Amino acid sequence: MIVCTNCQHKNPDGSIFCSECGAQLTGSDLTTQNIRTDQVREILRDDARGARPPVEAAPTVNAWASLHLMESGQILPLTDRNEFTLGRVSEGQPIMPDLDLTPYQAYANGVSRLHAVVKRDSKRIVIMDLGSSNGTYVNGKRLTANVERLLSHGDVIALGKLKIQILVKSP
Amino acid sequence: MSNARDYYALLGVLRDASQEEIKRAYYEAARRLHPDTNRAPGETEFFLDIQKAYEVLSNPKRRAEYDQTLPKADTPSLPVNVQVQYSRPNLVRMNEPQLVYVQLDVRPRQQTDKIPAPPLNVCLVLDRSTSMKDAKMDLLKAAAIQVLKSLRPEDIFSVVTFSDRADVVIPASYQVDTKRIESQIRMIQPSGATELYQGLEAGLEQVRRSRDPSRLNHLILLTDGHTYGDEQACLNLAAEAAVQQIGISGMGIGADWNDTFLDELAGRTGNTSQYIARPQDIQRILSEKFNELTRVFSEEVTLDYTPTAGADAAYAFRLQPETGPLKIENPLRLGPILQDTHLSILFEFLVQPAALNTDLLRILEGHLKVAIAARPTPLPPMRLQFSRDVGAEAGTDPPPITIIQALSRLTLYRMQERARNEVQSGNYEGATRSLKNLASHLLAQGHQGLAHTVMLEMENVQRQQAFSSSGEKDIKYGTRALIMTEGM
Repeated sequence: MIVCTNCQHKNPDGSIFCSECGAQLTGSDLTTQNIRTDQVREILRDDARGARPPVEAAPTVNAWASLHLMESGQILPLTDRNEFTLGRVSEGQPIMPDLDLTPYQAYANGVSRLHAVVKRDSKRIVIMDLGSSNGTYVNGKRLTANVERLLSHGDVIALGKLKIQILVKSP
Repeated sequence: MSNARDYYALLGVLRDASQEEIKRAYYEAARRLHPDTNRAPGETEFFLDIQKAYEVLSNPKRRAEYDQTLPKADTPSLPVNVQVQYSRPNLVRMNEPQLVYVQLDVRPRQQTDKIPAPPLNVCLVLDRSTSMKDAKMDLLKAAAIQVLKSLRPEDIFSVVTFSDRADVVIPASYQVDTKRIESQIRMIQPSGATELYQGLEAGLEQVRRSRDPSRLNHLILLTDGHTYGDEQACLNLAAEAAVQQIGISGMGIGADWNDTFLDELAGRTGNTSQYIARPQDIQRILSEKFNELTRVFSEEVTLDYTPTAGADAAYAFRLQPETGPLKIENPLRLGPILQDTHLSILFEFLVQPAALNTDLLRILEGHLKVAIAARPTPLPPMRLQFSRDVGAEAGTDPPPITIIQALSRLTLYRMQERARNEVQSGNYEGATRSLKNLASHLLAQGHQGLAHTVMLEMENVQRQQAFSSSGEKDIKYGTRALIMTEGM
């Protein structure tokens, strides 16, 4: 049984949205997989006291790729799973991106709630725009929605105006 | 690709079909093709072939002999591709019911020789009751004429009007002299009450006159009012039409028609109803519908299944094309596949603890049947199975993003359904709460207009204990439209 944190309605196990209030039931499946961007920020802040993390350096251990937020200089490692949706959480809405970019002025930069997805299969890493309002750009070129685009190390992605550099772990 | 003498293909069964399956396929074909009920050219011959096939296959000895003559079974290259996705990697043994979502996608396979869209055999059934007078009628006529002009030479077209009686304005035929036909449409005059059965019966008669399995046989009903007392008779007609592979689409104009009924009527043939809020939109929506009919790849996909005790399909919804809820019945009429829009269904199964005394739960087992008008022989049915491992622990993989996205939008539609049910059962407080929740989700997602409508209806429910009939439809078809529009 899953108790909705929003309205206390009891939903059967396996529910994804609350049948009473429509809130997404962020079951353990989802929360453990979400990257806690706040924590990452904390760690990075500690790092920043010493030296800024070198951008070209190998990304965090175990990550198959990392996202370098160019405005703030922070790096978010992508680990554990092969697919991350990028977007921003907004109050009371049922969509929960894997990676919430709210702390990086996502709203002001025109990031949609569910903006794009970064995926890895056997060897390649791709990005796909999920029909966002302000578009996804790779190295300045706008992507067609729902069409995958190959990513390589150093490519600069823009979700709306939020610029992110992709750092790929070399094999 | 297929050998016309292949008896299995003729009956549309698999090589290893049981005697029972063969018998059923034969009865089904017989019902569809019997010379007494059929006037389309070539069908009698086709029926004789099927009879021959049944004679051989129903006799185990002759069947075995026949099987010897067949070339070794090569897996036929099916023209569709079936994909099944689950919301969770496994089911968990527990003492309470649990949910699993299953998304079924049926796509046309990319082929070098593209299967062309079949020619149409379409009847427009138009409501000409008094309420249709003036602008509404004029716009309806203009829309019908527009459709007439867009027909291809190979299409068969007819028009029936109805009020308390039905008139055949244009009998089913190829349309050569569009000028003359156009003037006949212009002469339609509104008068009388709305008796849907009359129109539906006359319209189906026109479609049947030129019914041909290699065409897309379809009826489009346009109405603006309630019909009284003949609903059940209409539903029976639609069920008969479904057996003969005639599709029915419903379009309701304005606020005063019965959307639940029209949805159910069209649902009998695996189609759905559409809402035309303003008469100005008749032409656009009707043209879109026709355009859709000319892009049909498969007119209908059905799922014949054996239900599993303790794993009930609690809800089924067609995400595309023709977005709308499915009636849970057996066989399930899943809907059409368009050349550029594949069929996508989302199922919700409620699994009871008693069903979990196994390591692998077959949630559903059945056969998919894909009717493709442009192919001379029916496709063999495809086996389909939904199953999940049963374990002690829940898997950690999150649900596929496609299921989450579909559900996030479907949740809004279901909140609307819930509010309507609550109003009907007199739970106004519950309905108000559901509408309030719905409005806040719509606002958060940036659908201000629809959220506003929902809030107005919330007031109506509080004050008058009922929806306004236009608001009710605006919300239902508005939340449905959100499911259709991809992205945000």
